[in-house]
Amino acid sequence: MKKTKVEKAAASSLAKRNLQKFLNNKLAVVGAVVLLLIVLLSVCAPLLTPYDPLYIDVSQKGLPMSQEHPLGTDRVGRDVLARILYGGRMTILIGVVSALGATLLGAVLGCVSGYYGGKIDKVLVYISELFQCFPQYLLILLLVGLVGQSTRNLLVIFIATGWTGMMRIVRTRVMSLKEEPFVESCRANGIRGLSIMFHHMLPNTLGPVIVNATLQVAGYILSEASLSFLGMGVPDDVVTWGNILNAAKRLDIIQTMPVLWIAPGLAIALVVLSINFFGDGLRDVLDPSSL
Amino acid sequence: MLKFIGKKILILIPKLLLISLIVFLGLQLLPGDAVTRTVSPEAYQYMTEEQLEALRDSLGLNDPILIQYFRWLGRFLTGDFGYSQASGSNIAQMLAGRLPYTIELAGWAVVIADLIGILFGFVAAVRKNKPIDHILTSGSVLGISVPEFFFGLVFILIFSLKLNWLPTGGRMAAGETGFFSRVRYMILPAFTLSIALLATLTRYTRGCMLDVLNKDYIKTARSKGLGDFVVNVKHGLRNALPPVLVLLCFRLPILVSGTVIVETVFNYPAMGSMILDAISAADMTVVMVTTMVVACVTLIASNLVDILTAALDPRVRLD
Amino acid sequence: MTRDDIVLEVKDLKTRFKVGKKIVNAVNGATFSLKRGKTLCIVGESGCGKSVTAHSILQLLPPVGYIEGGEVLYTPHTGDRPKSLSSMKRSGRAIRSIRGKEISMIFQDPMSTLNPVYTIGNQIMENLRHHEKISKAEARERIVRLLTELGIPEADRRFDEYPHQFSGGMKQRVMIAIAMICNPNILIADEPTTALDVTIQAQILELMQKMQQEHGTSVILITHNMGIVAEVADDVAVMYMGRVVEFGSLRQIFTNPKHPYTRALMRSVPVLGMDRSQELASIAGSTPDASTVFTGCEFANRCVHATDRCRNHFPEDREVEDGHRVRCFLYEEEMKQ
Repeated sequence: MKKTKVEKAAASSLAKRNLQKFLNNKLAVVGAVVLLLIVLLSVCAPLLTPYDPLYIDVSQKGLPMSQEHPLGTDRVGRDVLARILYGGRMTILIGVVSALGATLLGAVLGCVSGYYGGKIDKVLVYISELFQCFPQYLLILLLVGLVGQSTRNLLVIFIATGWTGMMRIVRTRVMSLKEEPFVESCRANGIRGLSIMFHHMLPNTLGPVIVNATLQVAGYILSEASLSFLGMGVPDDVVTWGNILNAAKRLDIIQTMPVLWIAPGLAIALVVLSINFFGDGLRDVLDPSSL
Repeated sequence: MLKFIGKKILILIPKLLLISLIVFLGLQLLPGDAVTRTVSPEAYQYMTEEQLEALRDSLGLNDPILIQYFRWLGRFLTGDFGYSQASGSNIAQMLAGRLPYTIELAGWAVVIADLIGILFGFVAAVRKNKPIDHILTSGSVLGISVPEFFFGLVFILIFSLKLNWLPTGGRMAAGETGFFSRVRYMILPAFTLSIALLATLTRYTRGCMLDVLNKDYIKTARSKGLGDFVVNVKHGLRNALPPVLVLLCFRLPILVSGTVIVETVFNYPAMGSMILDAISAADMTVVMVTTMVVACVTLIASNLVDILTAALDPRVRLD
Repeated sequence: MTRDDIVLEVKDLKTRFKVGKKIVNAVNGATFSLKRGKTLCIVGESGCGKSVTAHSILQLLPPVGYIEGGEVLYTPHTGDRPKSLSSMKRSGRAIRSIRGKEISMIFQDPMSTLNPVYTIGNQIMENLRHHEKISKAEARERIVRLLTELGIPEADRRFDEYPHQFSGGMKQRVMIAIAMICNPNILIADEPTTALDVTIQAQILELMQKMQQEHGTSVILITHNMGIVAEVADDVAVMYMGRVVEFGSLRQIFTNPKHPYTRALMRSVPVLGMDRSQELASIAGSTPDASTVFTGCEFANRCVHATDRCRNHFPEDREVEDGHRVRCFLYEEEMKQ
């Protein structure tokens, strides 16, 4: 379908207004900028540090901050700055991939559930409720125990346990959209159910879906950090911020090497904070009706 | 009201059954013989193959799986949770030594989060767009953005190692069992565990309060000449509270999740460390049964809050 | 007419709302007065500021609203020195001791004006016991008596029921009970019947009139229903875009409307006994946005008599006959003669 000039103009003015609205929210803008900066730093890690985050050099262990090692080294002589820069890649990647997967799964199930209703809906809602009554970390830990520790497994587990919220959001939206005249007219014109669902209804739920997916990235980054801190997340040879923090389970390290755990902790806090502020800003623009 | 409670419980039961069925099927899939999980290891050692087969028969392990499930459930309800694969200990006894402490920790965290979170949300709403509102709303975003274990580590560094005010961890000092000596060990973990919920409640209470403050009956209350505080609390907060409590039921499982982490940070020997140890030892029986028990306790707890919330609403109470 | 007759006088009241960075002039100079024991109707289209005017009297404005100028003078008893309500602290002790006791309010939608979590008896009692030191038993007795008077059957039992157990009309009776329980001097009713069924409307109005006669209350009734005005008003204030454009007795306004807006308003509503062949006219154009800044008469762009002078200058308020005031240039010449 070709858009007429008027439609285009209307769309661009709406986009402009939305952008203006977003820019007015200073915290959201700061969040976006900081986020961009951190992603950039992680991606450019090899340019910023000469060290290999996995290279163990026992002769260099436990060094304080210095010219060569701006944040010192850890217990086995790995450069902390290098680990944080490289760790950002995996941490953010895990957050984004899990959120995308869970969003996709949740949105599709929510669409199906909301559109068809009846038995399918009942079963799906029941399953999602069942998932929600398990304390999430316990469920994840149980699954990690069952399938073993690896990055791929962790992603699968995150997605398998994280789709319920999104499903509910999409389901409610689809159920109210079902009553809208444009869906009626789609049906009257003989458009197939699947096509109505994914071409006509799903795009209309996009606002809240994008907002919640964004916030979910933050949630997954926190989950990964917590699991890796417990030693149940990604394997040791994968660098994530949570894995760096794993060292801080010992009291002597908490006291004698504060940089080792405060630096990655602040990195996590900063990223999640930025995503949350950014997401709140997005919500004001894309999903103004919600609380 | 009775009808409402009855309905709630009726919804609860199939859910609990389903959870137990899933765990039961999971247990069936584990390697090893079911006999090893129902007979104490001491007895198992001295049994011959025929005796074992006879035992399997008498235990009904050759019966259809559904019958086995109900039998297992029956034992479960009478407090026989089976035995650990790794240590051979009785799981029910292991739980009895751990679960109460997790519930105690979570309970304190909920109390702290409720009191402070609702107070903060209330103040932020009443002082909307004033500096205090901005501080509290930004603070609450910080609260949900920082991982709880990081808060815990920072607290240990400041309050235990630097200031030496509170112990770094543990549940109680050797030989001290009094309530007040235990409280010293509870303060940091409970507060750390409460932060995320506290921040969420602050945000949500603020939202609900603002919603309620826009209602016409607030205007009615003000037109009676009541003071701001009375209007805000008696008419505002009273109506904002039920949805806040509903949120609390939904968040309860997340809080319980947090206990695993907080217990690790503060070396607090309870359920969390038991699960982690079991996972490390690949002791899946313990992991699954424990998870199931925690899930059931959480589910029942959040339903209790739900019933409590309903009791606050005359529209539900009187029907 | 002596000044002593007047229980409430509103002079050039200006109320503003600050929405973001925008300032909306909700009330832009409203002047009218309420005679003791009489009923004043404030009429106008929706959004003309009549509701805000009513709320400004008791300073019951939302946090973004504030009174910028003008004065609200209240004379509790004949011969008292008038109190300035508008200069009292917003939710200070002084104004709170008047709210609910000497001046009370009824709002539009009885479905949402009662707090769903307290019994209706409790909510009426709250007002009574806040202003008078009497025992619970005494208070209950008085409330049940008033509820019975207001036509609520089995008042003693219903005292302990919750708002959701009442119908809309019954809820509005409860609201009247809350407003009347302290025997106020003034009752301000903000479209009290708009949200109700037509049959219930008449009952509620009748009740209000009955209360007024029995207790000698002065009433300000806000409405957009000219039928109601014709039935209950002693005096009428016509508002347009935050200003009172015409003020006078019922007879003056209905038989001799002066302002072009009032005239248009009169032609646009059916009145009982009106000639069947007469067509109802609609007012040309639409109400401007509330944040519009005017350089002259607000009605100029919809007025058939408008001149350049109307568009560039504000007309003064002038008295065209005894107690009948109009804000329009048309009558300037007339007055000079």
